[in-house]
Amino acid sequence: MIDTPAQPTAQAGAATDPGRTSRRRRRRPTKITEQVPRHLRAHLTAYLMITPMVVLLGIFVIWPLVYAFYLSFFEMSFYKDAEFVGFDFYKYVLTDPEFYESLLVGLKLALMVVPTILVLALLLASFLATLSKRMAAFMKTTVYVPAVVSSVVAAIIFVFIYQDEGFANWFIGLFGQGPLAWLNTASTALPAVAVPAIWLGFGVSTLIMLAGILDIPESYFESARLDGANFWQRTRYITIPSLRNVILFLLVSGLTLTIQEFQLPLVMTNGGPVNATNTPNLYIFNSFRDATPYATSYSLTAALLLFLVIGTISLVIFRVVSSEKSSDA
Amino acid sequence: MRQRRLRIVAATAVAALIALAGCSSNNGNSGGSGGSGGPAEITFWQSQFEPYQQKWFKTYVDKFNASQTDVKVKYQVVPGDTWQQKLKAAQAAGTQPDVATTNYGGIPAGVANGQFAELDKLLPGKAWSDIKSNVGGFVQVDGKHYAYPMLVEPSTVLYYRTDLVKAAGLDPNAPPKTWDELLTWAEKLTKGKVKGMSIASVATDLGWSSWGLQYNACGHLPINDDWSAANAKDPCYTKLFEFYQTLFQKGWIPQQPKVGYPDATPYGQGQVAMMANGSWAVGQLKQTFPAMIKNTAVAPFPSVDGDPSKPTATLGGWTLTVDAKSKHKEAAAKFIEYLLAGDPAIMADFFRQSGFSKYTVRTSVDQALAGDPAATADPFMKIISDKVVATGKAEPAYPFDISLAFATAIESVMKGKSDIPTATQKASDAIDRVIKQQRLKGTAPKG
Repeated sequence: MIDTPAQPTAQAGAATDPGRTSRRRRRRPTKITEQVPRHLRAHLTAYLMITPMVVLLGIFVIWPLVYAFYLSFFEMSFYKDAEFVGFDFYKYVLTDPEFYESLLVGLKLALMVVPTILVLALLLASFLATLSKRMAAFMKTTVYVPAVVSSVVAAIIFVFIYQDEGFANWFIGLFGQGPLAWLNTASTALPAVAVPAIWLGFGVSTLIMLAGILDIPESYFESARLDGANFWQRTRYITIPSLRNVILFLLVSGLTLTIQEFQLPLVMTNGGPVNATNTPNLYIFNSFRDATPYATSYSLTAALLLFLVIGTISLVIFRVVSSEKSSDA
Repeated sequence: MRQRRLRIVAATAVAALIALAGCSSNNGNSGGSGGSGGPAEITFWQSQFEPYQQKWFKTYVDKFNASQTDVKVKYQVVPGDTWQQKLKAAQAAGTQPDVATTNYGGIPAGVANGQFAELDKLLPGKAWSDIKSNVGGFVQVDGKHYAYPMLVEPSTVLYYRTDLVKAAGLDPNAPPKTWDELLTWAEKLTKGKVKGMSIASVATDLGWSSWGLQYNACGHLPINDDWSAANAKDPCYTKLFEFYQTLFQKGWIPQQPKVGYPDATPYGQGQVAMMANGSWAVGQLKQTFPAMIKNTAVAPFPSVDGDPSKPTATLGGWTLTVDAKSKHKEAAAKFIEYLLAGDPAIMADFFRQSGFSKYTVRTSVDQALAGDPAATADPFMKIISDKVVATGKAEPAYPFDISLAFATAIESVMKGKSDIPTATQKASDAIDRVIKQQRLKGTAPKG
């Protein structure tokens, strides 16, 4: 790809002085690279540049994944020969109600977190886009702060917030409610975990959304204003359609990351009460607890099935919300 | 252009080499040696316990290393919550420790997996004959020893505040004998911000801390003796479920416990008037909350029907095992012999450090402590030893998945997510699934 612009120039040179070029061609021995088809030669540099990444991906992602699938057909022991068991572990995972419960918990958490983040980020980014440069810089930094906080630290902070004498109970106490055992009641535990997940995630989403908004030509908004469109109309008919790809990216990445949420429920609830916050990754982590070969193979297979589930969800989203080039591209 | 391509090719080659170097296997340190003629170097992983234990282990590892030149022990403390993950990663890489702390319940499964070396021939006969008869079976599978025991500690003891008990009009010299009496005490002792008692309320803690009470309620665990089928729907468990349910739903125990069952902090800080906890809590109270000791009494945990001869606790505890793949099994056994099976003064020092919150497994260590006034004058030791340890049962050897299934049923009932029949049915199905999938039928340890 990088070589492509150079080639027409060379060809143009050849056209101006055909004799010189043909003499040079006759003297020069044929190189191996010239035996390669022209279209491949043209992209050689590009292929070479992506080679390190492909090699690294192959070694650290593709091969382990293939090998993991291979191993999932065995009951593995580090002390005895592995026993071939075929699809047994797939059957065990797929007939375990807790696996489906954990997937449901992951989906519920994603449904609480991702749409909330998208709406909050859109509103905040629209607001930031109207601010002066200095004020916007200050606000952007402020909004981004949660993103640099470790999720373990955030989890611990929120555990304190939800304590019997914590901020959450003080707050609902102002309205004559509570106190609630936020993290130890099945109905409130998952929303209580979703709050720090939203707090941690909306900063990055806001900045990405803001970058998308700043990329929309100002003339669109000016025309709309001249036509008398209000803020909601401009958002509905200009901002959101122009941010289609940004929203798609945030939706897919948000869903896949939130379904895989691990640290927050681990620290805040350890999956409880009664598995109410047992996300798929936490379920897999906990199934790794026993020292038996069964536990090792089971958690490996569950992880592979989770990979397939999340891959499928991402594919469905891409099919439903197809990405398109933005209108002014 | 040519030079540029060469540079790119060179960069690619370097990147690939770095990647391959990153993949190169670590030859590991398991059974490593300090070089030809040097001491045999062995690694020892200790699961992280109370701080005084780390100090005791470190002291005696250093003394062992200084006392001889044949064996050098590399000592490492591993947090309990990452133990399995770290151990499995090390086993996969061939860098597992030569010697590791293993709990009694983990021995049969480890032996079935071929993980532990047989120790009968590696330790002298007198080391085995010194072990008390009620503990000897804990470290044997099919008559062979695969671990050397260190201590036992009962999982459930009742601690109560004598001052608060008196203030509530109750007699501190007549602690509750039945679960119903305990519920009455919990109700009367719940005042303001002080809850009546603390006890496990999440499945991962209930899984092991309720074993003794499961035995107490039904005389068996929720699985048949030969591990052929679940036995979780036995109606005798109803009282157990109702006991936990009442404590939680009446608000007599903390609704959002800040720490896990083994941690005595809420009791030490005066947030609860009674505490169900293991004997190890004595050590924590003595060391971290010494002011609480004068107002604390211990008693066996009440029985479902007041019968004091029924078990209320399991005897957990720790051992040292030698890895089956260790290249220096003799050296590893030599270290275990020094630390756990040799001079009784070493283990006597351990029990002294623990504030006599754990119990000996060797006759010679009992004799070493018999002359120690601190041990004989301890207000808690005799009660726990005579009334709790004496009736304690061995920890079950089945996979924790079974304990967790039953504990999840208890938690469901406590927190109003299921009624008792639904919860026990679900637990029964889960246990049967574990039996089938992990092929447990007929694999229960004999005796």
